[in-house]
Amino acid sequence: MLMSAIIAKDLCKYYGDVKAVDSLNLDISAGSFFGLLGRNGSGKTTSLQMFSTLIRPTSGKIFVVGSDVVESPVEVRRNVGFVFQESALDGTMTVDENLKFAGALYGLSNAEVRDRSEQLLTLFDLMDKRNRKVLTLSGGMRRAVDIARGVLHRPAILLLDEPTIGLDIINRRAIWGYLNGLRKQGMTIVLTTHYMEEAADCNQVVFMKNGRVIGDGSPADLISQVGSYMLDIVTEQPESIISHLTPLLGKPVVQADLLQFRVRDEDFEIGALQDELRKKVRSLLFRQPDLNDVYVWTNKREQD
Amino acid sequence: MWNAFRAIIIRELIRMGRQRGRLISALVRPLIWLLVIGAGFQTLIGDGNGGDYRQFMAPGLLGMTLLFGSMLASLSMIYDKESGVMRMLIVAPYPHYVIILARLCSAVIVGILQALMLLIVLALIGYVGTIVSPFLFLIALLLTAAVCAATGMLIAVYSKTLENFAVIMNFVIFPMFFLSGALYPLQHLPVYLKAVAYLNPFSYGVDLMKHAMLTSQPDRFAPDLPVWLDITVMLIFIAVTTSVACLRFSQSSVMEKVTQVLSASRRS
Repeated sequence: MLMSAIIAKDLCKYYGDVKAVDSLNLDISAGSFFGLLGRNGSGKTTSLQMFSTLIRPTSGKIFVVGSDVVESPVEVRRNVGFVFQESALDGTMTVDENLKFAGALYGLSNAEVRDRSEQLLTLFDLMDKRNRKVLTLSGGMRRAVDIARGVLHRPAILLLDEPTIGLDIINRRAIWGYLNGLRKQGMTIVLTTHYMEEAADCNQVVFMKNGRVIGDGSPADLISQVGSYMLDIVTEQPESIISHLTPLLGKPVVQADLLQFRVRDEDFEIGALQDELRKKVRSLLFRQPDLNDVYVWTNKREQD
Repeated sequence: MWNAFRAIIIRELIRMGRQRGRLISALVRPLIWLLVIGAGFQTLIGDGNGGDYRQFMAPGLLGMTLLFGSMLASLSMIYDKESGVMRMLIVAPYPHYVIILARLCSAVIVGILQALMLLIVLALIGYVGTIVSPFLFLIALLLTAAVCAATGMLIAVYSKTLENFAVIMNFVIFPMFFLSGALYPLQHLPVYLKAVAYLNPFSYGVDLMKHAMLTSQPDRFAPDLPVWLDITVMLIFIAVTTSVACLRFSQSSVMEKVTQVLSASRRS
């Protein structure tokens, strides 16, 4: 049986009258890659903050590697590394000084900090920047140092709150290359992100909205539940297309001039439809669904 | 835990060493008071047997350096809240009171280092006479710095942003300085002002410094209170203020405010 890294039971968090997290129940297996997905304000970051003891739950229980976050916060913090959405580094200090400081906070010896820093900075190609002040680094470099800080003490669980937000594709790939290595070493990773492709490799994802779970499962299962194919149509006559295709495929998701239909029938013939709609559409794309579609359709289902 | 405690102190000392403006102003501010205000008041008192007003000011100006140095060092915790560094501190594995105690110690060290620098300058320009009791002087430095650091820490744990910094300067630092006996003896003040001055913990630090530093001054420049009272009041104040700051900081609501401040700054 897989041991649980994080267990949340009936977890709630209120800010005044606002319910940030509402009856969240989770069981995250040790060594798994877990995604918390949802729109801004859905409760993802608040959940991570509770897992890390940064904030206290209003009600409910959280166990991190068996320790209760309220009763044994120090033990919990020992097992957790947190890469925050915004940098937690001291911009006035150098990369080396920041890592030394972070290592000392976790009780690492100077030799341990030196060895691990060198290893991490080499991986991120930042060895020549180690004596530069963090303020002078680019966003991507700063993010890499932030991740290095978060994993320096080799935590059992790494919480990543939108780790690649605002980064270009090259930096994102570099960071994910490293994070994938950590996964292979057995580290439990809990991720929040708006980039669905980053969550595609998760063992399990949870979609949240207004603090509640509105969908969960493995990405493959969730994608298969959306449909066999997606039909994206860009048109200037949406009403006409909707009235034509809704009886056949069901209601679409409408985003400006884009209509998105789910196609559940695996043997659906697109050829005839293409000929039929040719004069009414600007573009028509018949493709396989992905996690972005799960995200969109899960939200639509909740709205309906 | 000790590693973390030491690391927080070292970080503060590194930061202080890099803020040259802060170090220079710690020296220049009291010297301006000494050379401008001190010279002006000396002309009122005269050079006869009225006493040397500038020597009288020396303990108060050292106190001023401790007040600004230690209190501002404590207040820099608000910078950590705003910049996000505080989150790195509060998710690390030790009780949160360690952060307060380490910050307090670093603020005391920063204040004392600045005061010692000023003492050397004052001695070089001849405004410090013989220190009666070096031991008492060190105790006075330590306790006064701790009083100022603890006051700053208490403000820092209740403050969300540095926006109210001017308010702190105008309503905490300046009143503490002006009503401390640093610029004039408290014994001649009107009763209501004397009462306020005796409620000011900084007054006891300045008074203790006068015990350690003022030798050949006339009675009217003599310290106002006994040594034991100065020490007792400061010890009680430091213990109570630090305990309140530790308790307050350990409450999760403080962390929630930090995260809310960060979220708000991100949205803006």
